[in-house]
Amino acid sequence: MENVLSILFCLSLFYVAVTWRVKAYVTVLRFQGLILAVLLMIPFIYHFSIFGIILPFTLLLVKVFLIPRYINKIILDLDVKRRIEPTIQQMFFLLLVIVSMIIIFLVSNIISQKTPLDVIPFASGFSAIIVGIYIIMFRKKLIIHVCGFLILENGIFLFSSAVASEFPMMIEIGILLDVFVVVFLMGIALNKISSTFEGFEVTHLGRLKD
Amino acid sequence: MFGLFIFILLPLFSAVICYFIKNLKIQYGISLLVAILHLSLSLFVFLGIYHIQLPTFFSIDSLSKFFLLILSNVYFWTVLVSNSYLKRPVIPKAEGGKKYYYMLLNFYLTSNSAAMLSDHFGMYWVAAEATTLSVAPLIYFYRNEEALEAMWKYLFLVSIGIAFAFIGILFLTLSAKGTTLEGKQLFFWEFIRNAKQLNPIWIKASFIFIFVGLSTKIGIAPMHSGDIDATSNAPSPIAALMSGSLRLTALIGVMRIFQIIRQTSSYEFARTLLVIGGLLSLFAAFVYMFKVNNFKRMLAYSSVEHLGLILLSVGIGGLAFVGAMYHTVYNSITKIVLFLMAGNIHRHYKSREIDKVNSALNIIPKTSWLFLIAYLAISGIPPFGIFFSEIKIFEGILFSDKPYVLGFVMFFLLFIFVNMGKAIFTMLYKNGDNQINHSAERFEITHLNAIILLILLIIISVVSPDILYVNIINITKDFGLNL
Repeated sequence: MENVLSILFCLSLFYVAVTWRVKAYVTVLRFQGLILAVLLMIPFIYHFSIFGIILPFTLLLVKVFLIPRYINKIILDLDVKRRIEPTIQQMFFLLLVIVSMIIIFLVSNIISQKTPLDVIPFASGFSAIIVGIYIIMFRKKLIIHVCGFLILENGIFLFSSAVASEFPMMIEIGILLDVFVVVFLMGIALNKISSTFEGFEVTHLGRLKD
Repeated sequence: MFGLFIFILLPLFSAVICYFIKNLKIQYGISLLVAILHLSLSLFVFLGIYHIQLPTFFSIDSLSKFFLLILSNVYFWTVLVSNSYLKRPVIPKAEGGKKYYYMLLNFYLTSNSAAMLSDHFGMYWVAAEATTLSVAPLIYFYRNEEALEAMWKYLFLVSIGIAFAFIGILFLTLSAKGTTLEGKQLFFWEFIRNAKQLNPIWIKASFIFIFVGLSTKIGIAPMHSGDIDATSNAPSPIAALMSGSLRLTALIGVMRIFQIIRQTSSYEFARTLLVIGGLLSLFAAFVYMFKVNNFKRMLAYSSVEHLGLILLSVGIGGLAFVGAMYHTVYNSITKIVLFLMAGNIHRHYKSREIDKVNSALNIIPKTSWLFLIAYLAISGIPPFGIFFSEIKIFEGILFSDKPYVLGFVMFFLLFIFVNMGKAIFTMLYKNGDNQINHSAERFEITHLNAIILLILLIIISVVSPDILYVNIINITKDFGLNL
């Protein structure tokens, strides 16, 4: 089941690599959040506990409802144009993503022979981290950078489930809260940037230089 | 629980109270009281007068005790001068932001104390990220374009850096697979105790990610740009806070993982990485000082230089490590003075550009003299502490297995000293074209602060209290280093 969900997660990365629409990024974030929440809920099908279900529900609330809604609100408020503005051609971007993913999956397979880990979630998580970085590098719009950062965060989350690292619930919720506040602050900053610089592209940020 | 209350919960309550009370003077009073209590308790804990008990996820050892005292000290002086800073005129847009200033400062203290006292990697991560969140809005205090850009870059770069550090923490979990640590919580002390069992390759990967990630926050080259922009555009007390304490919060994370890796076969690799990071930072500062045009940026680069030197010395080990620990104290105190005086110069000349600051010694003599003395202190001129810590560092490097590093370090430091001096002397002595009539400079709380701190700096370095020495030796022992 984990493998199926991880592959769905990977497919969402391909969609991100080819789409031209800003809103599609938000949909993907929602979809990825849902996958992660389902992934967390799986163990509770066999051993149900009210206490343990708090984390998946918090994740669902933060990653599927709060953050995407907030980003959508920013897009509406700032009247962001529908098309993303890539700095390289989409075709190259897709190729880059595919090649990176192939390498990651192959390397993960080699690693798994020595260290016990779930190859597919591990490689999918790492792929999302890399794709998140690519999005930040090869897109102009700052709102897309925020989405890239969130895809990277989702990747880390999947990755942590693959290495079976269990943090205490309090810390997991702390991590989610931190991510939410980061996005909240970035949203406020974006609002200010759009009113101060009359645009929200990375090219507007060039005042501070040595 | 008393320790937890004073160090973490009280600043948090204070932050909540500051949010609801709109009067800045009351906010100042509450924040100052919290700062005094925090400083007193951390001093008592450091002196061994009071032994604190902390709940799960928190504990105190020689290193956290030491860094906590530095944090408390920097924070106290920052809060003390904050009231006078908030009275200074700012653009109308920035007036509204003042009401959040103390709330964010208190939240900064909570998260920073939590990060320093945490003994669990997860808790450390949450707290370290929270420090970024508390300081980012403070960077945007002036509400101008530069401040906005600096805030965005800082928030974005450091958040990504911290995310990388999280990947490093996950690799640490992988390194524990198949050992007695598997499935256990990520407590520092458990990992330090059982470090020999860890998988050397994963621990290496973990170190790389944690080091590179936290470098964005420490300001280690080549990840220093966000930090430089933030420090140079933040109000001076915040810049002092960032240079004096926030960088140490990130440094403690790197030192924890270094403490673990020290016992494994990947130790040499980690040492080399720290030395390279340190040298690159010195090099970045060295290059910048040739084209310096903004005095606050110059001070931010000076922080990159000194943190680079500290990291390099931690990597070298032995006596250099002891020197590095002394250096953290001296650097933090000197940086408060430098940034506060830079703030005074900025207020007077309404510019951060060196070319626009002329005859400062005649126009604002009190600030200028203190700025000059602080410059001499940061450059390692006796009797100020940095002279003694640098001597220890140099001796440590010379008698280490990498003596050639000393050549690079001294070369970089010499040019940084000369170029920084050139810029500062231009500001202080060069006669300007447009001499405006200036009224005599008033003696303010920032001057009093600077004088007390400089005296404190001399006292600590000349007297060299036994308790400080013993604590640093204890840290050295915790790291298993031989002197």
